[in-house]
Amino acid sequence: MTEYKMFEGCTIGNRIPFIEAASRKVFDKIGVQTSQAPFACCPDPTGVKSFDNTTWLALGARNLCLAEAEGKDIISLCNGCANTLRGVQHQLKHDSNKKEAINKELAKIGKEYKGSIDVKHFVDVLLSKLNAIKGGITKQMSDLKVACHPGCHYMRPVEWMDSDDPLRPKNLKEIVAASGANVVDYEELGLCCGNAVAGPFPEHGDAILKQKLDSIKKAGANCIVVNCPACFQRLDGEQRNLSKKFESEYNIPVLYVTELLALAMGVNSEEIGLKNHRTRRNTAIENL
Amino acid sequence: MALPVGIDFEFRKLIMDVHIGSDKIKYCYQCNRCTDNCPVASVANPFYENVFDPRLIVLGTLLGYKDVVMMLAGTKSAIIPWGCTVCDTCDTVCPQAIEVTEIIALAKNVTTGAGLAPDNIVAQAKTVFESGKAIPSQPAIERRREQLGLPGVVTPDVNEVQTLLKAVGADKKL
Ligand code: SF4
Ligand code: SF4
Repeated sequence: MTEYKMFEGCTIGNRIPFIEAASRKVFDKIGVQTSQAPFACCPDPTGVKSFDNTTWLALGARNLCLAEAEGKDIISLCNGCANTLRGVQHQLKHDSNKKEAINKELAKIGKEYKGSIDVKHFVDVLLSKLNAIKGGITKQMSDLKVACHPGCHYMRPVEWMDSDDPLRPKNLKEIVAASGANVVDYEELGLCCGNAVAGPFPEHGDAILKQKLDSIKKAGANCIVVNCPACFQRLDGEQRNLSKKFESEYNIPVLYVTELLALAMGVNSEEIGLKNHRTRRNTAIENL
Repeated sequence: MALPVGIDFEFRKLIMDVHIGSDKIKYCYQCNRCTDNCPVASVANPFYENVFDPRLIVLGTLLGYKDVVMMLAGTKSAIIPWGCTVCDTCDTVCPQAIEVTEIIALAKNVTTGAGLAPDNIVAQAKTVFESGKAIPSQPAIERRREQLGLPGVVTPDVNEVQTLLKAVGADKKL
C-alpha cells in the first residue's frame, strides 16, 4: 500500500484538529496510509507568498525536501498547503534560475530540492477510492441536501491545480454523492469565501461571503460541505456575525467532507469532536 | 483618481518577468474580463473610495506605471494591490492566459519591501519566522488532540527554518 507523508497544515493541526481526527478515521476505513514528518508551515499562498515570493519558495522547498528524503508523496488536508506545495514545484520546475538560487540557500541547511515526489490534495485521493468509500457507508444520508464549496485553491490556477474544472468543479460533488447525500446546485459554486481580503478589508470579505451564503440559502441546502480549513473557518465561524450585520438568518451547518464521510460510515460524532463547530447541527445531521 | 505620471522601468521589467520565458503579458487587450469576474471588484465598487480593478493593474504594469499598480503608493495596506483575495478567477477567465494573480502577488511583494504590507500579513510572516508555523502549538489544542486520539504534531527544527529564512533575507522585511 502507498504510504503518504501527512501534511495536516498549521490550521488543522494546531487550531481545528477535529478535522484531522475525522480525516484519519476515513483514511483508516478506506485504506489510505500516512506517516508524519517535521514539516514547517507550507507556507500560506495568500499570506507568505504575498509577503515575499522567495521566502515562500524557500520554505515550501524545504518541506518538499523532507518528503523527498523518504521517497514518499505528500497528502495535504488543506487547499492552501496543497496549492503552495504544488505551486512551489511548478515555479521550480519551470524556472531553472529560481531552482538554482533556492538550492544554493537550501545547501546552507544541508538540503537539495530535486522535484522527485508528488503532492496530492486529499480530495483527489478520495476520488480515486470512490468504491471503497461507497462500500464503507452504513448510514442513510438522504435527508441531507448538500451545497458543496471546494474553494478556490483546490481548482485554481489550472497551471498547477489541474484535477478539476476550475469554474464548474465537480470532484467534491462526486464524493458527496457517493455518500448517499443529495447534492444541491447553486449559482455561486465557484465563488471565493473571501478569506484573504477579509484580513485587511473585512467589509469586502463579508460582502463576498454574504453573496455565497445567500446563493446557498436560495438553493435550499441544509448543509455545506467543504475541503479547506480556511473556507471552513469562514463559513462555519462567520455565519453568526453575518446574521447580525446583515439582519438576516444564516445558520447552515458546515461539515468537512471527511466529517461527512466519517458520519456516513457510522463514526460517532463525539469521537470526531463535532461539538467544536460554531454553527449548530440541525436534525438532518443529528439523526445520522 | 489622480493620473500617474512616472514610468518606472525597473518595476516594469520585474513584472514583465512574471511569466517564465514568455511575453504574453504584452497581449492583454484590455477586454475587462478579469475585472468583470473579480469578486472583490464586484463588491468594492459600491464602497467607492475602495475601487479594485485587476484590468487596471495589468495596464499599469504594462506601461510601467508603478503608481497605478500601487494606487495609493506610500499608503499602508492600499486596496491596490492588497484587496486581491487570491482567488485566481481572473487568470482562469483571461482569454490571453495572463497570470494576473501572480502579477498582483509580485506587486504585493514590492510593498512589503517598502514596509507597507497590511499588519496581518507581516504578523503571519513573523510567527512563521519565530516558530516555523503560522499557528504555533498551544497546550489547550495539544490536550484536544490527545482527547481525539491524535498523535502530537511533529514540530519543525526552528533553527533550521530560521537559518533558511535569514539566508533569503526574510528577517529584514519583518
Ligand atoms: S482578461 Fe486578460 S486580456 Fe482581458 S483585460 Fe484582463 S488581463 Fe487583459
Ligand atoms: S485573484 Fe485577485 S484580482 Fe484576480 S479575480 Fe481574484 S480577487 Fe480579483
